[in-house]
Amino acid sequence: MRWFAFGFNAFGQIYVHEKLIKGECSDAVNEIKVSSPTELAGRADCCLNTDSQIRASWSRRASLHLDGGSRVCLAGFGAVLSSESCSSCMKESRGCKDAFISESYLTLAFPDRIESWDLQKEEETPSWSMEIKKESHGPPLNLPLVPGGYIATKAPFYRSLSPHLKAKSLALSAEHAILLSASGAVYTWGLGSHGQLGHGDLTSEEEPRAVEALLGMPMSCVATGSWHSVCISDGGDLYVWGWNETGQLGLPSRGLRKALQEQCSQQAGTGAPCQDGSTSPPEEPQEGEKLDEVFISIQAFPALLDITPSCEIRTVSCGSRHTAAVTTTGDLYTWGWGDYGQLGHQTLISSDEPQRVEFFRERQMCVFDVVCGPWNTFAAVVKEEVA
Amino acid sequence: MATLWSKISAVLPLNEEQFPLQFSDKVESSVVEMLKRCRQQLYCDATSTSRMLNAQIILDFSWEKLNTGTWRHVDKEWRRVYSYGCLFKVAALCREDPSADQLLQAVRTCDMGLLMGAAIMENILQVMVRILHGEVKSAEEQDESEHPEVKKIKIECPRVFVIKEDSAVPRMKCPSLECFNTNYLLPLKPVILEGIIDHWPALNEHPWSIEYLRSVAGCRTVPVEVGSRYTDEEWSQTLLTVNEFIDRYILNKEEEKGVGYLAQHQLFDQIPELKEDIRPPDYCCLGEGEEDDMTVNAWFGPGGTVSPLHQDPQQNFLAQVVGSKYIRLYSPDDTDKLYPHQSQLLHNTSQVEVENPDTERFPEFAKAPYLECVLQPGEVLFIPVRHWHYVRSLELSFSVSFWWS
Repeated sequence: MRWFAFGFNAFGQIYVHEKLIKGECSDAVNEIKVSSPTELAGRADCCLNTDSQIRASWSRRASLHLDGGSRVCLAGFGAVLSSESCSSCMKESRGCKDAFISESYLTLAFPDRIESWDLQKEEETPSWSMEIKKESHGPPLNLPLVPGGYIATKAPFYRSLSPHLKAKSLALSAEHAILLSASGAVYTWGLGSHGQLGHGDLTSEEEPRAVEALLGMPMSCVATGSWHSVCISDGGDLYVWGWNETGQLGLPSRGLRKALQEQCSQQAGTGAPCQDGSTSPPEEPQEGEKLDEVFISIQAFPALLDITPSCEIRTVSCGSRHTAAVTTTGDLYTWGWGDYGQLGHQTLISSDEPQRVEFFRERQMCVFDVVCGPWNTFAAVVKEEVA
Repeated sequence: MATLWSKISAVLPLNEEQFPLQFSDKVESSVVEMLKRCRQQLYCDATSTSRMLNAQIILDFSWEKLNTGTWRHVDKEWRRVYSYGCLFKVAALCREDPSADQLLQAVRTCDMGLLMGAAIMENILQVMVRILHGEVKSAEEQDESEHPEVKKIKIECPRVFVIKEDSAVPRMKCPSLECFNTNYLLPLKPVILEGIIDHWPALNEHPWSIEYLRSVAGCRTVPVEVGSRYTDEEWSQTLLTVNEFIDRYILNKEEEKGVGYLAQHQLFDQIPELKEDIRPPDYCCLGEGEEDDMTVNAWFGPGGTVSPLHQDPQQNFLAQVVGSKYIRLYSPDDTDKLYPHQSQLLHNTSQVEVENPDTERFPEFAKAPYLECVLQPGEVLFIPVRHWHYVRSLELSFSVSFWWS
């Protein structure tokens, strides 16, 4: 297995360029915005092997190694830089089974305890920890879920969850949460200002509330961006809801089309003039934009998103304003905000339509997992067997 | 003549050490690191692409923070970070002999910082935008000497509006403070005050006109309401320059659908030159609130803008500077006949279309007594706290409201 990444790299969280090592700022846009998938390099002590997993925050990448001496290595902001190694292993993480990273904290799950380390300070001890009893029944839980509740990204860290929810997995944004129960039901709570809860309105919910529109359709995977939510059904269908400001739902976005048009006119040197009082071009339908096209700004109920008619979706992950999904046939599709190259289409263009990342297909690589940081994307691939 | 960059750099701190970057621990160290990179690039060699990119990273990151949670709960630190992003972007744009288009982008960036950010470095964005505006104007003047024709605006005459005597708002010419207090403020009765703003520069030295607004504020970005009234489904808000607003919605150069209204915007904090043209009425001193608590809003739009019947939590002096407005007033005692919206967001707004009421849905409305008037330039309407008011412009109109307590 190999990991490739693209998108935001201002802190060397994807690869370390020479200037960063010397402590200089990069001048080259393509070093900060990685628009073409780039393989994560590893060294003997922290190489990414078959059992590696990736977690990413805005400025960092955590690689979780589960082989032999399991541990977490950090790359990006604050990591010790040298041209030799890409990331530094955290000795305190030895023996951990799972990890979760936010801009401020690294949370580690050990068999007997949970620890949260403050990434802002160099401390010898975790800033918070709790003991956990070994789960005697049921499948092991993944962070941020822990027995009886979950770990939030800010204090108070431990929040309890009703046992009736039978939580199987949980995804958190700064202001809302989406939970998958053992039976496949989806619950959401938190801020609802952009329809991100999927209850059909914009109100907030204090407590987990079942997404009624999905009842009777068991789900297998949930994910969340800053203002949108997604889930995959048992049958491999993808459902999306929330804010579509930069096309992160994969539905027609007026805001995005307008922004792209402005970029075009600016590049052509015909930006809206102002000093002579002449007018900017009227809002006529854009090229390729159907007159009767229905734009979606906020989708307050789950909507079925057809990415590719014949394929099922295996897994999905969200950045702050983009989305990435892997099909059971091993293709990676991305859509939404692309300014930092996080869509991997070798451009910096946002897209409100799911598009296949051709890089992997061209190299006969089969994508089987994807993890998004807020402004970047990490994909796990294997080389396809040539029949 | 000094170059633009020498003027801009003159208002920046002398060197990196004197450039403050102090934040609470809400702002993560990675973000502060990014800000430091921008600061470093301000004082050393870098490509303009790289300067723009780093400033944009700050803007993108803080934009996400400004849009996380509800606006009033956004930590002020993130609004400061956003302002720093604007500052760095303006510096990047002005570094190397900017084109006319880049100059306007820099003005817009300052305005975005003034509208969405929080003041940093003694309000340096306000200082910078004044420099930039001067630059834009001198470029314009060169242009105008080549095309000396001045466009004159023809204002259509409004039809005469007949106000019935028994429902007319009473009028007073320059009443004494005592008289106003006893007869109107204490009993909370509406009145039109005449002759109290005749000394405003906006009505004398700098008579407000489309040309004057273009020259003082043409390239400045302001929030504009689009749609007939804010209770409509189709209503939205957008950001336009004053020139774009005038061209599209006042002069109707493009046959825009819908009405555009520069409404309820604190334009005078954004553009201090315009603040010089107006004066808060002396009567405001009768209130108990501090003068700092007074909110001054601009209301600028074509004929046909409508503010649906609503009430505000403060006393209001509505001063008419340009054009005329039809206004209808209802006492808060009659709220039960006015059918306020049920929702939390619009509970201070009536559901009734005042000039075309649905008598079946709102049968009590016709029974509510009201006062009405056509407010003319130079007149000030006192709208007592919580008094319901409906406002429709009869022609091109500019009003200034003073909310005070």
